[in-house]
Amino acid sequence: MIELQDITKVYRTGSQVLEALRSVSLTIARGEFISIMGPSGSGKSTLMNIVGCLDTPTAGEYVLDGDNVAGLTFDQLAAVRNRKIGFVFQNFNLLPYATAWENIELPMLFDGKNGRRRRERVTELLNAVGLYEWRGHRPSELSGGQQQRIALARALANDPPILLADEPTGNLDSKSGEEIMAILTELWREGRTIVMVTHNDHIAAHSERTIRLFDGQVMA
Amino acid sequence: MNPTLPRFFWSEYRKRRKKAALITFALFWGTLSILLLMAFGQGMSAQFRVAFSGLGDTLIMVYGGQTSLEFEGLPKGRQVSLYPEDIDFLKERIPEILRIVPESYSFLQVSANGKEINRTVHGTTAEFALMRTQVPRMGGRFLNADDDAAGRKVAFIGWKVAADLFGAEDPIGKPVVINRIPFTVVGVLQKKIQDSMYNGPDADQIYLPFYAYNQIDNRRRINQIHIQPHAAAQSKLIEARVRTILGKKYRFNPDDRYATSFWNTIENAKEGMAIFKGIEIFLGIIGALTLLIGAVGVTNLMYAVAKERTKEIGIKLAIGARRQVIVQQFFLETLFVFAKGTFWGFVTAFNIVHLIRLAPINYDSFGIEAYLLRPVFSWQIFAAYMAILGVLVFLSGIFPALRASRSNPIESLRYE
Repeated sequence: MIELQDITKVYRTGSQVLEALRSVSLTIARGEFISIMGPSGSGKSTLMNIVGCLDTPTAGEYVLDGDNVAGLTFDQLAAVRNRKIGFVFQNFNLLPYATAWENIELPMLFDGKNGRRRRERVTELLNAVGLYEWRGHRPSELSGGQQQRIALARALANDPPILLADEPTGNLDSKSGEEIMAILTELWREGRTIVMVTHNDHIAAHSERTIRLFDGQVMA
Repeated sequence: MNPTLPRFFWSEYRKRRKKAALITFALFWGTLSILLLMAFGQGMSAQFRVAFSGLGDTLIMVYGGQTSLEFEGLPKGRQVSLYPEDIDFLKERIPEILRIVPESYSFLQVSANGKEINRTVHGTTAEFALMRTQVPRMGGRFLNADDDAAGRKVAFIGWKVAADLFGAEDPIGKPVVINRIPFTVVGVLQKKIQDSMYNGPDADQIYLPFYAYNQIDNRRRINQIHIQPHAAAQSKLIEARVRTILGKKYRFNPDDRYATSFWNTIENAKEGMAIFKGIEIFLGIIGALTLLIGAVGVTNLMYAVAKERTKEIGIKLAIGARRQVIVQQFFLETLFVFAKGTFWGFVTAFNIVHLIRLAPINYDSFGIEAYLLRPVFSWQIFAAYMAILGVLVFLSGIFPALRASRSNPIESLRYE
């Protein structure tokens, strides 16, 4: 369960103050698939970063599975990102020098999983995204769709209950985009919570609920 | 630390090793330069000691002279000569003396093997060999006590004398005629470097037993006395006591600097060593500054690497890497680059030093190469260098690593 209560995020650069989020309250139930939409600068990514424990709110309360995230240390937040949350980014964010296999293996290495478990899981995930044959290739040798599938497999490495996808189809052609959405929908059906940022109504239509942000506030 | 992480770091490092090549090379070059600088400094210093010991080991030479001060009613300008009996006279009165030998010499005609040359011929006793580094070539010997006791007519010759008279032949057992008296060669001086001398290098000299020498040169007085103290620190004391004792015997003022003169090689060596120690310190300072510049370079490069890898750090933090993991990775990479650079620097320096040492020294025309061709690889210096560089690399590795680990994941992910 994700519970955001009066979340405010303020950025200060010198004398300038930018209020990216203003008293955002939001509850996302376990197993829900929601889309966050809004124009550029509306606070979508800031909200996503806070939900994903990449950033902390200036004010308000964020409770994740009953734990107040505000009280967690840097390393405790890292552990949450590692085990509870999987990230899928618009620009994939794969390590360029690592192979597909190594990219998927990385979160498990950070979690201290042993070699056998890692091998089994990476094999399983590569087969699930249909890229086992590409396991030894680096990101630069893969198409955008393939890279995003590897990124999805990496996000699932530690079997997190929550998947955060920031414009997951933004850099893909429509066919690859549909493939990714099909995988995300399948993952949701398996019981995962999916939170997705998108500009695209057609993509947002895959979700159960859409939250619209404008000027740092939830519109509906 | 998760034991699989170092393997992962290694795998990542291997993929980036070309980018790390510049830092590795900087460390390699720094190590090579410093170790070679220090090896040459040490080598020059060591060769100076060797060259100086070519004359002798902790040696004080005493010469006669002419008085310059009136003494007990006697006028100045009197000749002071040394005699064979002064040897026992001094030895009995100065317990600090370890060895004492007389030496007389004359420039004489020497012939052998149908050849005729003129060389300085010396008369002395067996202990002269120990004091004046007279090491015989294999198969021969220096003069011994029995030669004097038995009145043997034997000769020990320098290697140049041997070459001039006998060419490539072995002179041992062959006769040489000195001042029309035949002597048998019993030994040839082994080649050595010698930067201090009187009457020319030992390579050109001929040594006879003192008793036999007196048969070809019947002057009663001797040219000089060689004294070796028990300890080098006693040299000044011995010098003063010799002046006092001989002053009393030959009736001159002990403060008269011209009545007797001294060549105190111990004091000369101290001055020489101070110069070479100065050179070593100078080279050490250059080395330390080079090291510092290298460390600053490595720090800059590590910061640049950390900057270049900002996005990678962001990705790792986003997928759950703890700070410790980022620090460990950066630090292990620095450590590995350090080990690789210094290892190859050490191997190269070590081999260059040993290759240079294989070059032959020309003992016949002793020159600058005798100092330069014998660099000394010092393990102590290497250990000190590794300790200092280790600290510098630790510092230059830990700060970029800490900075990288404190990155804001969001800002790092946005970094292009």
